[in-house]
Amino acid sequence: MQSLRNSILNYMRVRVSTAERLIADDLSALYRHGQPLRKCSTATSNGHDQVMDRVITLVKKFDKIDAAKVTETADFQKDLSLDSLDRVELVMAFEEEFSVEIPDAEADKLKCCADVAKYVISSADQKI
Amino acid sequence: MSVASAAYLARRAAQKERVRILYRRALKDTLNWAVHRHLFYPDADALREKFEANRHVDNIETIDRMVAAGEATYNKWRHPDPYIVPWAPGGSKFCRNPPPPQGIEIIYNYGREDNV
Repeated sequence: MQSLRNSILNYMRVRVSTAERLIADDLSALYRHGQPLRKCSTATSNGHDQVMDRVITLVKKFDKIDAAKVTETADFQKDLSLDSLDRVELVMAFEEEFSVEIPDAEADKLKCCADVAKYVISSADQKI
Repeated sequence: MSVASAAYLARRAAQKERVRILYRRALKDTLNWAVHRHLFYPDADALREKFEANRHVDNIETIDRMVAAGEATYNKWRHPDPYIVPWAPGGSKFCRNPPPPQGIEIIYNYGREDNV
């Protein structure tokens, strides 16, 4: 009976301690990687290419656009045949993806993916 | 004649700009009113339908009246506490951590310069 009890307790103890160690590892990893992760999520330290990739994948997902035509410099209005209200919806999608505020006047100047990437990077520099 | 047509085109461009800004603000306000994301999509579609219904109106005075009516409706239903991006003006993190002014630095061995 004693040996059974010991074996059970031993088993329990080992399990609890491993779980705690796992949690501790997770937490320390979280603290170590927390800073870069947070930066990635707001595109602060991303390179120009990564921002461009996110812009292009987002534009390809937009249901009124033919995904095969999307390139870095394809004009939303002429090449991708969006009207002005579609462009408003697209700009709103960019705002949500990169969590930036694009003023009304700037939104009209974003004509292709390269413009959007440039604007996102320049606004990430001002974000402190 | 050319002056008249230029004035007409300028007025049409101004109207397009007004409609664009109205749609943009109304779409954002729709997202503000929607509690969940899946409630936002039908509302956004309904808003787009309202704009598309009057797409082919070409009387310039009628367009002016319609845009004014749309702006009045937008102002009436504007959200009292809209979502603002945290880093944008009015957001919760706006100017929270500004860079120090030029010429200000930390002197780590202040008062102990001679001992170093």
